[in-house]
Parts: sequence; C-alpha cells; structure tokens
Amino acid sequence: MSEAVQAKAPVLSVEGLSIALPEGGDRPFAVENVSFEVKPNEVVCLVGESGSGKSMIAHAVLSLLPKSVNIAAGAVTVAGQDPAKLDRQALRRLRGGEAAMIFQEPLSSLNPLKRVGRQIEEMILTHQKPMPSAIEVHERVQQLLTQVGLPNPKLLEKSYPFELSGGQRQRVMIAMAMANRPALLVADEPTTALDVTTQRQILRLIDDLRRDRGMGVLLITHDFGVVADVADRVVVLRHGKVVEQGTVEEVLRSPKADYTRELIDAVPKARLDEIRRTAVHPTPLLEVIGLEKTFRVKRGLLQPPREVVAADGISLTLYEGETLAVVGESGSGKSTLGRMIMRLTEPDGGAIRFNGQDLRQLRGEALRQARKQLQIVFQDPFASLDPRQKVGDAIARGPMAFGTSRTEAMEQARKLLVRVGLNAVAADRYPHEFSGGQRQRICIARALALKPRVLIADEAVSALDVSVQAQVLALLAELRQEMKLAMIFITHDLRIAAEIADRVIVLQKGRIVEEGATADVFTAAQAAYTRELLDAIPGRDFFDQPGFASVTGALSTARMSS
Amino acid sequence: MIRLGSAATIGLMALSRIAQLVAVILLIATFNFVLVRAAPGDPAQVMAGQSGASDPKLLEDLRKEYGLDKPYAVQLASYLGRVVRLDLGYSYRQRRAVVDLILERLPATLLLTVTAFCLALLIGTTLGALAGLAAGSVLDTVFTVLSLVLYATPVFWLGLMLVLVFSVTLGWLPPFGYETINVKLSPLEHALDIAKHMIMPVTSLAAIYLAIYARLMRSSIIEVAQQDFIKTARAKGLSGPSIVVGHMLRNALVPVVTVAGMQAGALVGGAVVIETVFAWPGLGRLTFDALLQRDYPLLLGIFLILSIVVIVLNLLTDLIYRLIDPRMTTGAA
Repeated sequence: MSEAVQAKAPVLSVEGLSIALPEGGDRPFAVENVSFEVKPNEVVCLVGESGSGKSMIAHAVLSLLPKSVNIAAGAVTVAGQDPAKLDRQALRRLRGGEAAMIFQEPLSSLNPLKRVGRQIEEMILTHQKPMPSAIEVHERVQQLLTQVGLPNPKLLEKSYPFELSGGQRQRVMIAMAMANRPALLVADEPTTALDVTTQRQILRLIDDLRRDRGMGVLLITHDFGVVADVADRVVVLRHGKVVEQGTVEEVLRSPKADYTRELIDAVPKARLDEIRRTAVHPTPLLEVIGLEKTFRVKRGLLQPPREVVAADGISLTLYEGETLAVVGESGSGKSTLGRMIMRLTEPDGGAIRFNGQDLRQLRGEALRQARKQLQIVFQDPFASLDPRQKVGDAIARGPMAFGTSRTEAMEQARKLLVRVGLNAVAADRYPHEFSGGQRQRICIARALALKPRVLIADEAVSALDVSVQAQVLALLAELRQEMKLAMIFITHDLRIAAEIADRVIVLQKGRIVEEGATADVFTAAQAAYTRELLDAIPGRDFFDQPGFASVTGALSTARMSS
Repeated sequence: MIRLGSAATIGLMALSRIAQLVAVILLIATFNFVLVRAAPGDPAQVMAGQSGASDPKLLEDLRKEYGLDKPYAVQLASYLGRVVRLDLGYSYRQRRAVVDLILERLPATLLLTVTAFCLALLIGTTLGALAGLAAGSVLDTVFTVLSLVLYATPVFWLGLMLVLVFSVTLGWLPPFGYETINVKLSPLEHALDIAKHMIMPVTSLAAIYLAIYARLMRSSIIEVAQQDFIKTARAKGLSGPSIVVGHMLRNALVPVVTVAGMQAGALVGGAVVIETVFAWPGLGRLTFDALLQRDYPLLLGIFLILSIVVIVLNLLTDLIYRLIDPRMTTGAA
C-alpha cells in the first residue's frame, strides 16, 4: 500500500450498489448499499459465506447478472465506465478488454468441445483491432500459455479442456483473461475447486501477474486463509451488506465486527494448541492390511488402458473411539480407501479386518451384518439424499431393513434429528427444503441410525460454509464421545484434519507417505510431500505470526512453532 | 496426453465394431426367424386356402416343397447358412429372388426416408434452436404448441388430411404413387414429377420427427445457455451470434444426434404406414404384402435388410458423435 498506489484512480469503484432479487425471495435485496474500490496493482478480497451476495457483485461488475435480478440503486464504474449504462458494442469492448473474469469451476467454464488454443485465440480476435494476422495471434497464444506457467504450450493449445488437470484449466482461463491486458481482473472463487498445492500456485500466479501489469484484482472468496495470503484490502459481506472493510492487517488482526471475528475464529487453524490428544484404546477395531487397487481407464483402441493406482499397499489400524484423518490431494486414493473399507469398491488385494472378521471374505447375510456397523457420510449433501424420499424415511429405512418396526424406526429417526440439531418435524419434509449444512446433519443422522461402530466421513464438511463447517465438526466430535464412535475422516483440508483427528495418514498416489499422531505430523513432518501440503495451507504464514494469537482472544494460548 | 490422429482411431474403432456387427446380425436373423414362425399359419396354408381347396395332400406337398416339414432347428440352420453366404432365398409367392425384390423397392424407400429424415433434422433443429434462444417469448410459445400438435398427430391421419386438402380439394398435388405413368418426360421433368409426388409422403413422415427434434433442440439449447462456459463467452465480450454459433450449437447438438441416430431406424418403420397411405412403391408396401401372405423368405429378407440398415445407421451415429465430441474418442468423459 504505497503512496503511489493510493494516488491512482481506481480501476473499479462500486458506490452504494443495491441489487434487487425477484419478488418472493427470502430477502428483497441480494446486495444492499455496498461501496468499495479497487485501485491499480491492488488485490481486494470480497469475503463472505454462501448467500452473502459476493458473487452477485462480481457479476454486476461485468454486467453479467441474470435477467431476474436488477441493479436497484448505486453504480459500478469500471475504468471510468458504468457497464450497466453502456450500449452492447461498448459493453462487449469492456468485457474481456478492460475487465476480464475467471470463475470457480474451470472445467465447466471452458467450452468442452473447443481446443483451448482456439478459445484463447477467440478472446484476442474479438478485441484487437485491426485484426492481427493468424501468425501473430498464434504467437500471442503461445506467449500467454508460457506466461501462466503451462508446460509445452505447442501441445497444450491443441488440447481439449477435459485433457487438462484442474490447475492447468484454471491457468488456461487466466491466460485467456490476460489476453488483452485488462486493467481489472475479477476472480470469482478461482481456487475453491482446486487442491491446496494447486491453489497456492494459482494464487501466486494471479499475484505475480497483477504486480507485472499493475492490474487491479477483485477476488471473491469464502476462505480467510486465502485473504491472508493475497489481499491488500478486505471487504466482509453478510446477507448482502458490508460488515466491515479495511486493509488485511486491520481486518484480520483487529476485526471490528463480531461476524468477522466469528468467521476468522471458524477458520480451522492447524495450530498445535488446538490439537487434541486422546488416550488411545488398545484394541484395534479395524485393520487394513496391504490394500491394493488399480483402476484401468480405457482409452482409444490402440492405446493401452491408462492405469491409475488408487491403493498401493495401504495398511492402517483404527482403534476404538479414535479419529483418524486421511489427507491427500485429489487422485491420492483417499476416497477409494473409504469406499473399499465399506466394500463399495472391491479391492484388488489385501485384507480388511473388522472386529476379528475379514470383511473381504464375508458374503450375504454376514456382510450385511458387518456393513451395519460401518457407515459413511459423503461430501455432497445434495446428491446423497434421495430428493423424493422424506427425510424421516431416509433415516428409518436402514433400521427397518434390519427388522426394526416402522413406528419404532420413525420414532428413532425423530430423536436422531433432534440430536443432530434439527427439529423432529423435519422427518416429514423433503431434502430440498433444507440448507447444505442441515442436509449434512440429516446424512449424519442417517448414518448413525444403524448405531455403527465406525463412521467414515468422506469430505463430509468440504461443501459447507466455514461457520457451518465448524458447527458440523463440533457435532461430530460430540457424537463421537457419546457413541464411542471410531471415525475415519477423509479430507483434503489439513486444517480440518488438525482440528478433529487424533492421528493423521497422508496419502499420495495410493501410498501412505506419512503417518503419526496429529501433533507430530503437523510439527515435525517427515515426508517432503507433507511439508509441501502444510506450506500450501492458505493464510498459514499470517495466522502463525506471533502477534496474531494475542489479538484474537479466542486463540490466545501458545502457538505452534512454524 | 498425446492423442492419436483421430482419423486412425476412428478407422480402427470402425473395424472392431464391424466384427461385432456380424455377430449381432446373425443373432437378429435367428430372432427374426423365430418371430416369423411364431405367427399362426404358414405360406402353405395361405396358398392352399387361396387355391380354394383345403386338401391335406396339397398342403403336405407344398410344405415339403418349401422345406417346411423339416424340424425348426434344421430350417433355422439352413437359413443361417444361407445368410452367411449372403443368399436371401427365393420368394414362394412372387417366384423371384428376394434380393431382386428388395433391391427393386429399396431406392424408393430410401429416397422417401432419407429426405424426410434430413428435412426433419434440419428444420427441427433450426426451429428448436430459435425457440430455445427466445425461450419464453411469443415465438417460443407458438413453436412449442405447433410441435406439440405435430407430435400428437397420427402419421396416417396427417397423410389422409393432406390428400384431402391438396389433392382432392385443391388439386395441386398427385394423391398417390411415385411418378406419373404413361407419359414421356425429360430427365429434369421426371425428377420434378417425382419431387411433386414426394411432397405429401415426406411431409407426413417428417412431421413427427421434426417435432421431436425441435423439442429436443429447444431444451438442449436452454440447457447449454445456462452452462458456465456461456458465461465465460459473455465475459469475453463475444457478440450474441458468435456465442450461439461458436459455443452453443455444437454442444446443443450432441443429445440431438444421439436421439436422431436411434430414431433413424424407426423412421424406416414409420415408412410402412406412409407407403401404404400414398401407395408408394417401396419396401413398406412389400413388407405388408409379404406379411399377409406369410411369405417367409421375403419377410426374413426384408427384416434382415432393415436390421442391417438400422445397425449401419447406429454405427454412423457413433462416428458422427465422436466427430462432434472429442471426449468420446478417448473414452475419458
């Protein structure tokens, strides 16, 4: 924040912006009286939970709001122009010219049927007058792909989006956005769909590009870790209103609003002082020995099938009442491990011992009885409940399959709903009537209805807002105590692992690269890969600064050494 | 991530598919055989009945002559043997080779169905795309209602009404047949004459498919319009038409191609009815007659040829699908 930056005219200014929602919604305005600025060479983060209106603001900047919502008051000025007042031609020059945008899900944001090189070319051809020659355009595409750090641009420009990794796709999106040297980049949750290490690379890339070009960046995020890493200034939104704004130091170190403080506190900190140690019960409940699984993905006729190793001799032990976190990036095989233990996916080799029996040998009724004691909660609470089945039925169906009478099972379902923090009348409603967090509570109630001894949570809180995430984690911790549950907590988020687990296993490409008590793994990681993952935790440097813990009262105890 | 030249991949895929096809065709031939025999009566009965005498001796002689007295298994084996040698046999009734009969009629049917199919696809997708792009507008409502009406109209009824209006009342179009007979025409005039005869049968046949493709394309366009990459295209500053042409159409066509490919076969079936209504000298009419006469070899021959046509169409659909959607070539989607 130098004086020079302060002096420059903002590339984006939003003044008193109100966006009206269609009538009959839960509130009249998606966004109400929001004002902030983005100056050149500045990263401003718009932070809030889902429904806070942050994405609406991002879309208003390029006049990309859906038809059903309108700007009711206020103005947006991008590089001196109000996109809402421009004619079509001028608006098109603004979009992709002075201001470019990237989105959360890079796969769906790219046309699946067009080579990525062509998609970038299109951006150049649309905006550059006079029209550059084919050779110039091609050179420019190569140059852009190189600038965003993509290897082998020649091969890459000929690829289709589905042939690239998530990180590569987002780099392509960024290359496309950069094509016409925009003064403003709007990035709507650009790293939310990416792995933690990829997230760090993409954030660094955005940061480097804005420094190189003096570009203003409006970054929409729900993650205070990301804010701490890249933001110059922060705007905190709640229910469409600005709760507070200021420099990153001001807002993160001394938040004025209670809501901001809550959000910051809800960020899992991966801090030693918070890490729990449970006396481990000596009897192993579940033992996995040398589990192996290779997926063969068919390709063209001539090509041999691609082999993806999901489990390469995984062994682990889960003790009674213990929580074991399995962490790793996407493709590390962590979800497959959970599915294999449940026998939803058949392993190629190895053994799974549960309660003295080898689960892999069990068939028919014996398997059914064993499965009852192993339950799973999936990541997506929207997809994992049957939309046409009442919540009560969804929960009661399990016990009924094991001979409980319907009345009794429904009674139990109501009790469970109350236990997970919902109302008993929820039993008679359908899943779509609930929010994401509430649905995940329903999924947990469903899993617990069979009184399992092992609960596998596969990214069970990843789809939730940070404050809801904290509530669900707290619920799981309580239930674990109460029901003496052993839990396998599969997650890509090391902060969550640190918060909930007794022990941690780090998976990379189907192998265990590190295993140990949570505290040991987080303070003295042995494997280079673990250290890489730990370093990539967004906001880690910031939240680990000595000054930080003393400022926020809730986190005042000794901090972990970094 | 290096992909082979897509031409080579597609060529190889085609080869392996053809090998599968032979097996499929033999299976279908067996199934057809069993199905045809399952119907009550046989050609000998029909023939003996028509000659006025239900003389058991005549019946037996006829059965012996056509090999119908042998056990089913033997009949089936000899039939499949002939199929493998590409010999479709000899029609009892018409006293001609089945292949000749079919080849004589096939062009007329293909002319009718291919024209109807292409028109239905072209007009249907165009109208559907227009309606989808203007979803919720008056135009959309009109198109949607129209396609619903077309969709619900029985094919033969539409044919009859067209005849009533354009031939009987207005006298603009010939009511039936393939060409005007007993007149000398130059090649161009002859082509125009056939085209004139085609208008009503093609319209009747195409109507329902046109409606299906229009509805499908409409919903497909609406769905694609909501995709994230369309938002990206808008954020890139592309104009409306370039978004439609450059990003929407190809994506929206994928489901239409799938359904169109499956229905191309059904279209040939629909032709049977239309050919009967308009006395169109095609396979449909031939099938109808063969069925009444229990002309086993001819029926089996027609069924087999139609099955092969359907299979080839499906193969073509697969190939086109792969050309449209690169994700299919590597099977990674």
